[in-house]
Amino acid sequence: MNEHIIEIKDLKKRYDEGKIAALNGLDLKIKKGEFVSIMGPSGSGKSTLLNMIGALDVADEGTIKVAGIDLMKTKDLSQFRSQEIGFVFQMHNLIPNLNVLENVEIPMFENNLNSKQMQERALELLKAVGLEDKIRQTPNKLSGGERQRVAIARALVNHPSIILADEPTGSLDSKTGDIILKLLRDLHEQENVTLVMVTHEPYVAKMADRIVYVRDGKVYEEDDKID
Amino acid sequence: MSYFSLILKNPFRNKTRSALAIVGIAVGIATIVALGLVTGGLKAATSETLNAGGSDLTVTEANSNFMSGTIDESRVGELANISGVKNVAGVLRKTPIINTSVEGGFGSFSVNGIELDKLSVVDIEGVNGSLFSPGSNEIIIGKTAADSLDKKVGDTINLFGEDFTITGIFETGNIMYDGTAFTSLDTLQDITNSPGEVSTIYIQAQDDTNLTELSQTIENTYPNELSATSASALTDRINEGLSIIDSATWAISLLAIFIGGVGVINTMIMSVYERTREIGVLKAVGWRSRRILGMIMGESIVLTLIAAVVGTVLGILAAVAGLSFLGGEISPAYSLDVFLRGFLVAILVGVLGGIYPAYRASQLPPTEALRYE
Repeated sequence: MNEHIIEIKDLKKRYDEGKIAALNGLDLKIKKGEFVSIMGPSGSGKSTLLNMIGALDVADEGTIKVAGIDLMKTKDLSQFRSQEIGFVFQMHNLIPNLNVLENVEIPMFENNLNSKQMQERALELLKAVGLEDKIRQTPNKLSGGERQRVAIARALVNHPSIILADEPTGSLDSKTGDIILKLLRDLHEQENVTLVMVTHEPYVAKMADRIVYVRDGKVYEEDDKID
Repeated sequence: MSYFSLILKNPFRNKTRSALAIVGIAVGIATIVALGLVTGGLKAATSETLNAGGSDLTVTEANSNFMSGTIDESRVGELANISGVKNVAGVLRKTPIINTSVEGGFGSFSVNGIELDKLSVVDIEGVNGSLFSPGSNEIIIGKTAADSLDKKVGDTINLFGEDFTITGIFETGNIMYDGTAFTSLDTLQDITNSPGEVSTIYIQAQDDTNLTELSQTIENTYPNELSATSASALTDRINEGLSIIDSATWAISLLAIFIGGVGVINTMIMSVYERTREIGVLKAVGWRSRRILGMIMGESIVLTLIAAVVGTVLGILAAVAGLSFLGGEISPAYSLDVFLRGFLVAILVGVLGGIYPAYRASQLPPTEALRYE
């Protein structure tokens, strides 16, 4: 049986001086290598949950352990983000003045690799996402789907144990969205990386091993498609 | 791609804004460099001029403006008898009214009267042509003055209502003399109605003479009448005056730091503001706060270092142009100190201007930065 890579218990997060409860005692466990979709209405706490798992934000109460690290007790989380997490955002968030290759190299700056090693790893991933012929292009010369593929390569470049994708197909047409989803799922399998994806789209969510429904800052239903 | 190449690349994302910031700082640096070069040049020229002359002491009328007083000519002979004095020359200096100005001279064109055998005391060792004859209307003229007045050997020049024949042209390399002319002392005394008068007495001392003691002896012998100054003392006095320009340069440096610093803060804050989301991404991919701080600080210093290079070039051009406009006799004094000062100010502006925007960027909460539209 697979161990849990994400263990969340009674997690609470309030904003606006405590007036808004984004997470309200949320419990969730995700196994290593699992593909989990998180669904729920707007304001339900999906993105807040993703930010907590990725250590972009800190919870007020509860416990959250990711890849064996207690995020509530760790002060500097940049190393954790660098080594364990890969983010794919709805808006690709590529750096406009850097070319495709440089954008993929950016997360490796904290890894003590030399320029050649960084370039080799970035090229390997750009080949995997089918962009090896566009490495010198800047993001403004790429289509939406190509930009998202660069973002996926960037997310995987540091061999993370978890990919966190926040509406990765939200800004794409359905055909391009399907290609991106297939790519994400293939890479998740090939690299044996845990994939947690927030989505609004039921048909997108169904591609996952498990769907977690979040409402009012809590998990209220889990649809386990495998077990 | 290396971290360093990223830092070099980022400041040019908004070329117009960066160029304006660079120009703003470069003007300050150019001012510092230009003033430094000019002040250094003036100091060097002053020192060279005052020390290069054949005389060791300059004796003028006490309590008069430098070189504008009158001394009884009989003092020339008396001073020659003081112990330690090797040679003495009395010089009468008069300024004629002429239509052409002399560029590059030390003030306006003047005519000096001197005894023929004393020319070496004022550093004139030879002439192109021949020397003047005593008591005649012959004159030798400095190279700078000859060029400006467009005169050559054999030409005549009307001075104090009399025609003088130019018999020779001299060049001492000393700006105090090359912009003037020399004629016989008797002649100049006659035509300017200054019998028995000289303006300055130049003294050459014997090798082992203490100049300070000699000055003191002269002043004590002729209290309230004569004042004796050694070349080095005069240099010090002039340098003291020039140090005011040095202070002004430092004041301008401080002003440049302040104005440049505000400009850099503005540029870098705008840059950080526009890249808020991008900084959020860098944090999301694991960049530590101090790496972000270093990147923004680095970008700020890159801007100011470029400004230092541009400012230094502009400063050199301004100094060269300014000094050549003043006649070209004084050259800018290129010293490492001046350039280091410019670069030091630039780096200081870069650090001071970049520190707040860099700190602000490094402390941005990643979720807020990523939400930024």
